[in-house]
Amino acid sequence: MLETEELKKVFKGKTAVEGASLYIDKGESVGLLGPNGAGKSTTISMISTLLKPTAGDVRLNGKSVIKNPAEMRKVLGVVPQEIALYAELSAYENLKFFGRIYGLSGKQLETAIQQALALVGLKERQKEIVKTYSGGMKRRINIAAAMMHEPEVIIMDEPTVGIDPQSRSHILEMVRKLNKEKGLTVLYTSHYMEEVERLCDRVYIMDHGKIIASGTKDELKSILSSEETVLIELDRPYPEFFKELQSLDTIKQASETEKGIKLILPKGSRVLGQVFQASERHQVQIINVNVQTPSLEDVFLHLTGRKLRD
Amino acid sequence: MFTFLKKDILILIRDRTELAILLGMPFILIAILGFALSGVLSGNTEVLSMEVAVVQEDDEQQGLVRFEEKLADSGMPAPARQGIMASAAESSPASLLQEVLNDEGLKELVVATEMDATSAKAALEEETVVAILTIPENFTFDALQKMIMDEGNGSSLQLMIAEHAATQSEVFHNIVEEFVWSLNFESAIAKAANGENVLPEAGQTQVGGVESVSSVNPINSFQYYTIGMAVMFALFVAATISGMAYVEKTQFVFQRILLSNHHPLVYLGGKAIAATLVTFLQFCILFFLSSLIFGAFDLSEGPFWLGILLITASLALCVGALTALLTAMTMRFGNDTITTVFSGGVVTIFAFLGGSFTPTAGLPAIVQQLGGWTPNGAALNAFLIWVQNLDMGMLFEPLGRIALLTVVLLSLSVMILPRKGEA
Repeated sequence: MLETEELKKVFKGKTAVEGASLYIDKGESVGLLGPNGAGKSTTISMISTLLKPTAGDVRLNGKSVIKNPAEMRKVLGVVPQEIALYAELSAYENLKFFGRIYGLSGKQLETAIQQALALVGLKERQKEIVKTYSGGMKRRINIAAAMMHEPEVIIMDEPTVGIDPQSRSHILEMVRKLNKEKGLTVLYTSHYMEEVERLCDRVYIMDHGKIIASGTKDELKSILSSEETVLIELDRPYPEFFKELQSLDTIKQASETEKGIKLILPKGSRVLGQVFQASERHQVQIINVNVQTPSLEDVFLHLTGRKLRD
Repeated sequence: MFTFLKKDILILIRDRTELAILLGMPFILIAILGFALSGVLSGNTEVLSMEVAVVQEDDEQQGLVRFEEKLADSGMPAPARQGIMASAAESSPASLLQEVLNDEGLKELVVATEMDATSAKAALEEETVVAILTIPENFTFDALQKMIMDEGNGSSLQLMIAEHAATQSEVFHNIVEEFVWSLNFESAIAKAANGENVLPEAGQTQVGGVESVSSVNPINSFQYYTIGMAVMFALFVAATISGMAYVEKTQFVFQRILLSNHHPLVYLGGKAIAATLVTFLQFCILFFLSSLIFGAFDLSEGPFWLGILLITASLALCVGALTALLTAMTMRFGNDTITTVFSGGVVTIFAFLGGSFTPTAGLPAIVQQLGGWTPNGAALNAFLIWVQNLDMGMLFEPLGRIALLTVVLLSLSVMILPRKGEA
């Protein structure tokens, strides 16, 4: 349905995106992962026809939309990272405005407003001024505004940033329903790996303006299929102990976590003995050791050398 | 476009801070400046009104007889002599001076009382008069002899002014000086024209400032500052509405509008029309409240208000165009520095040049010229011409400037605005 081919964007001599090729089938939910500055927003802006690529193409159903963005805009809904609403207007007035600019009027407009409000669960508070809403409510109206013209494709750029767990859960469930029950095609970016794992069928991983990996969740995890993750919980940080683990050849990757250290090791490697010996040397108090199969987060760390929220 | 217009107006109405700036602030300034400077503007003649003493030592009739005899002695043909005498009798300098002093328009300013020299001196000492104008002996004969025959040394009026009322006595001095200059000037022209129309006709004597006072409706301080503040704060409408555009851009709302397949020009048009409408309403509210509370203008004069609305509409359109330019620049450069600089500095400079704080008549010519090319300055001039009931032909210049500025600003905004896909 939607595909990009070798997209490239250069700003003042600096390459923000290079050779980004991706595709999304109708009704699919695709995640776009990458740390800050990876080029996700630039890629989304080019797909949305808001930014002209320096090179490459964006195609909708096989037709280029670079020179004719109108076709893409008809079927596209964008939920930006920003709260793209008028804070001085009520939720109802905002939706009315965005509905009108999409050419809706009369009963059709009223129906669309009430449907969008029902979708985000804010029908009861539609007459309140947006600036009085909580962060989560604003995010929900932000999504409703993008849904007014019943788009076929929706691009969501980190739609759950900075909100409470309850609103976040509501939004995720809403996106899942839109995708699974109404067949809406979704391109979703997030800093939260669990959101992407929960919502998306396939994932693209971006770093330094390039797509460095793609596939289904299982395909991506299979990158680390010959490896396993060991989580070592400690009573406090031990920098010297961590340095020694990093220097061990059998450990592929060592990183510090909130509670201790995370190691990625070749499956079946008998390295735990060395770990315990080192802990004794450095008088480290180990609270717990947990061996896991790799997650998408581990794949991301393995590919980029960075955590998603770095 | 109506959707954009409605949205902008709704947002503005809900924003109390902006409303206070656009409506509350000018109204407060009108009140402060109107009361504080009520005596400075020419409309309030009470503080300048004065009594003067006129000491008449000249016998006009005797002077005319002597002048007739002088003409007869000169050997001038009888028909020419008769013509000159008829004109001299009707418009002798003494008569013209009396006419000026008794002019209806000038009566509000100057009350001239004829006294003998002793009484006049006493009145000056008692501060009941601010000046003594002495028309000396043989004034009529000496003046006519010099003006028409270019003989003798002419004559001069004697003016004694008081120190206790410097401003009033200075004004009276200027009136007399203007009269004398005018008389000498017209005599010189008459001589250059080989004696035709030797003397100025009665009732047509040009007396500069005095003439202007008598032919226009005076403006009081509340009228002046209602206009001055309204034209100044109209510029803030442009800053406010274009400032909204910056917020729309940074918060992705503008991009959302672009995604709805609207051309950026439609958005720009919405901003221009919203600013036009807001400016027009702002003027209506300020003029109405100022008339109601301060009595600035008579609310019952229909034709007067029609003219006010016409000038307001032309300025409102120009403010709409200015808003379009500021919006286009904000969109092009992606920051609100332009709007901030405009509202924080340019408006004040324009207000000064345009005469919102003080009339520019006393300022250097270059300031007046620059001010005449600002939207607020041109509109202020147009309003003053209309309020003072001057020649309506004079309106073409300021209104023409406003129209020209509107076209230029709109053209620039269309050129500067980023096109689709560049958001």
